[in-house]
Amino acid sequence: MSDDGAPDAAEGATSMSDSNVALLERISTALGSDAIVESVESLGDLVVRVRADRWRDAAQACRTELGFDYLSFVGGIDWQPAPSADEGSGDTSAPVQPKEQTYGVAGSAGRFQVFARVASTHVPRVGLTLKVDLDEESPAVASWTSVYPGADWHERETWEMYGFDFHGHPSLRHLYLPSGFEGHPLRKDFPLLAREVKPWPGLVDVEGMPGDASDETEAPDSAGGGDA
Amino acid sequence: MTSGALRKGPLKPVGDLLNYSRKYSLWMFQWGLACCAIEMGAALAGPRYDVMRLGVIPFPASPRQADLIVISGTVTDKMAPAIKRLYEQMPDPKYVISMGSCANCGGPYWDSYSVTKGVDQIIPVDVYVPGCPPRPEAFIQGVVMLQERIQSEDPASRWNGGHWEPIVVGAAAGEVDA
Repeated sequence: MSDDGAPDAAEGATSMSDSNVALLERISTALGSDAIVESVESLGDLVVRVRADRWRDAAQACRTELGFDYLSFVGGIDWQPAPSADEGSGDTSAPVQPKEQTYGVAGSAGRFQVFARVASTHVPRVGLTLKVDLDEESPAVASWTSVYPGADWHERETWEMYGFDFHGHPSLRHLYLPSGFEGHPLRKDFPLLAREVKPWPGLVDVEGMPGDASDETEAPDSAGGGDA
Repeated sequence: MTSGALRKGPLKPVGDLLNYSRKYSLWMFQWGLACCAIEMGAALAGPRYDVMRLGVIPFPASPRQADLIVISGTVTDKMAPAIKRLYEQMPDPKYVISMGSCANCGGPYWDSYSVTKGVDQIIPVDVYVPGCPPRPEAFIQGVVMLQERIQSEDPASRWNGGHWEPIVVGAAAGEVDA
């Protein structure tokens, strides 16, 4: 959990399995070690953070040099903490979520990241997760559609949910949301209008039983008395 | 409440016969959108519940052949125009059953950015079946309550812009806000 990307991490292959060390060696050779910002083994899986201007090259290297012919997914991350429980639009998951900004296993330079996973259909259980940092003001990165055609819909979804621009994508149109939708709903600062009107009921940890002193409604024995 | 001729005077038996035949030949357009559709399928296809014994035929080839539409599941804003368009293609008189919390009011997705807060925001609902999901018995009770209403209604009023209080399955009398 490093704070901000320490650029020496490409060599820091401590506590990595032999296969992941070999895999990191191969992608460093194919891509050039200066393109790799950070590399970590997480849950037995190699996570590599690459420089934003080499994002498409990384895909090309994975596909042609490393033989990863299968794109599992492309997605986005917003590392900003969710609204906390004392704000009106907060939710019950907030207490277990970080209050401060954290950046996951491979670190990040800022709030927004795009990440993807590629794998091989020939060698079982070998895959690679790639991450890239995006600018917070105008988040954009190169599209992978020319390397992996299957990235098309994944990038469209990431575009509409996070507002990340994918340069070179053939048609960034809405995929899941209605075409007139405004805003990017998976950003943590997207306002949920229903919660502005009515706070999340789960904010109350334990609801009072009917008839308790803390219960705001009328006690049942005064309301419907006489049925005993 | 009505100006319909079929419920009055000498023509009343004709109206009753018409209602009787309509009530036992409800061609039902299935609109299964989420997990409630599984319970709807159990009520439709399973031999244990078998809604066809009530005269509900759940297999029209097109909404233009249907008398009844069952919205079972989560209606999203993206899906809502399609529901409205196909509902409009159904011939009058037509009936709507909203099955499950999501179709009734948004249910557990009440605060979502993409879920319509109840299908009654786009089409008029005749019967609400509460539950998450409702059991097949609850759905079948909704069908039976709708059939009772069809038996007693004026067939012409459906064309005359009449107003109907919605039926809520399982609600006590007077519990439903108009």
